[in-house]
Amino acid sequence: MSDSLTEPGELFRTTINEYLENLPEAVHTQLYQSPETCLAIFRLLPSLAKFYIMTLLFQDSPVRSSDLSRWIKQPLSAGGNPDVISHRNPNRMYQSESIHRLKALNLLKENKKQITNPTTGRSIQVIAIHLNKSFRDSFRRAIAGTKSLEDTDVDMDSTNTPTPVLEEPHHTGGGLSNLFEDDEKITIPSLDKYCLTKWESILHFMVGSDTRETPSFDVLRLLRFSHLMELPSDRQKREDLDADYDPDFETGRVSYDSLKKMLITQNGFQFLLQPINSQIWAFLLQYLKISETRHMNPVEVLNFIFMLGSLELGEGYPISTLSQTQILMLKDLADYGLIYDPGNKQNKERKYYPTRLATSLTSESTSFNTPAAVMNKEIDNGTSESSLIIETNFKLYCYTTSPLQIAILNLFVHLKARFQNMVTGAITRESVRSALLNGITADQIINYLQSHAHAGMVKMAEEKLAKSMEYETSIGNTAALARLKLEVLPPTVVDQIKLWQLELDRIQAFKGYLYTEFANDMEFERL
Amino acid sequence: MPRAVKGSLIQCDPSIKALILKIDSDYRDIVFEELDDTHLLVDASKIPFIKSELNRILAKNTYNPLDDDDANAK
Repeated sequence: MSDSLTEPGELFRTTINEYLENLPEAVHTQLYQSPETCLAIFRLLPSLAKFYIMTLLFQDSPVRSSDLSRWIKQPLSAGGNPDVISHRNPNRMYQSESIHRLKALNLLKENKKQITNPTTGRSIQVIAIHLNKSFRDSFRRAIAGTKSLEDTDVDMDSTNTPTPVLEEPHHTGGGLSNLFEDDEKITIPSLDKYCLTKWESILHFMVGSDTRETPSFDVLRLLRFSHLMELPSDRQKREDLDADYDPDFETGRVSYDSLKKMLITQNGFQFLLQPINSQIWAFLLQYLKISETRHMNPVEVLNFIFMLGSLELGEGYPISTLSQTQILMLKDLADYGLIYDPGNKQNKERKYYPTRLATSLTSESTSFNTPAAVMNKEIDNGTSESSLIIETNFKLYCYTTSPLQIAILNLFVHLKARFQNMVTGAITRESVRSALLNGITADQIINYLQSHAHAGMVKMAEEKLAKSMEYETSIGNTAALARLKLEVLPPTVVDQIKLWQLELDRIQAFKGYLYTEFANDMEFERL
Repeated sequence: MPRAVKGSLIQCDPSIKALILKIDSDYRDIVFEELDDTHLLVDASKIPFIKSELNRILAKNTYNPLDDDDANAK
């Protein structure tokens, strides 16, 4: 996977940014019609880009591009000369990257103007920058929270969908409470339980533990399409040298039963380790890609996803406000646990309820937004603060209660006993081998162990590091000092896992032909 | 006349090469030609078989403390 990212939380931001940047300009313009989409895209941008957008938002006239540089503080270069800005200036790189991102999303538009200097009479070309008009209008609406009368957006037509505003928690659209007279009580805890079970069943299926309900056919197809899991025949084709690996997803209908036998891939394991927000986004991105093959309008799909992010938890919204494509999406989103669709009323009155997973889709940081924080305590099994202790004799103790965590551990650890709040086991050659054969790399295992390490282990490692740093500085050994880094896991375990991986790669095989018994050099040359 | 043989080239350590040659002497029909210290030409269809045999032989050499623990506990 990409090395330039340090935290897995960043992964989903960059992948969805790439997807958005690759869309053509016409699609962008369509996307920016909807205020929710603008808000969501705004949140995905880096801070400097956000700053630029906010300053340009309420300016109607174009701004000179040189002014953009003047708005940010330039640090002093090494020589102390404030006018010299070196190329390697990190601020400058950050700035150019932000501008580049904005241009790729078609948010910033340039036009060149000729300005004649009145005194000297010379004319110079100036690049003026202004914000994309449709984005600007939609975003203003998003921030100010008003609906204009000329609004032709289908979603905003009825009074039933609330306008997205930046202060979300206490805002309800007018007239919503009258709609909320259902027979079945759709309460927030029941929604939480629903989305939890759905999402966990998908994750459990990926890990291979028995679940009471396997995910639906479409979900399994999506898993296969996104290379998170693969059929045994796919794996064989991948490892077989003779055949060229070319998975045909459309030709050759695969039955539901055979899909149930899928095995997890390397990408799938990486996916499991990510925080839940990035998991959902990765899923939705794959869904976007597959929806293009099903002839669904990607703009509508994106709009719906972003709109979901700004809806209120626990409120039902009628289906009548959705377009055809979005109605098709309802079933798929219900399978992922993003919305809850009772579906037992007639078409006109059907409603859908977004779950916590959906409302936290576009939330910036999961620590500030209180609904998401509560959810994270419940759902965030992938990266919860569970503690893992590893001894140098390869025995492992993990304090956790979530079955998902235990199932993930089962992939590469030979679990021995399970207690009320703890599991014990050992890392054996066999367990690591079976994980390696499944495509999980040694690095992934090591990263997982490190990220879930117990706080005590980290503290011990830090103390050890401090001591050795002190020692090295006292004897003046700067080379060793530079090489010192924090080792949370015992080096024996780390090295042994890597060695076990090397064991599997003892021979390398290549397809080829051998030509022998040449009569003389001439024939060899000719061939 | 030059001859062309279709097969698979295997690259490995000398120790593994020796093991593969031993497998070949037990089962026949696997190795076509030894190219040098680290390369062999083998029958392409036999590669999975070679890998599984190698694994089996190498596994005999490993010590698994857990097996001992389990055996003692029972």
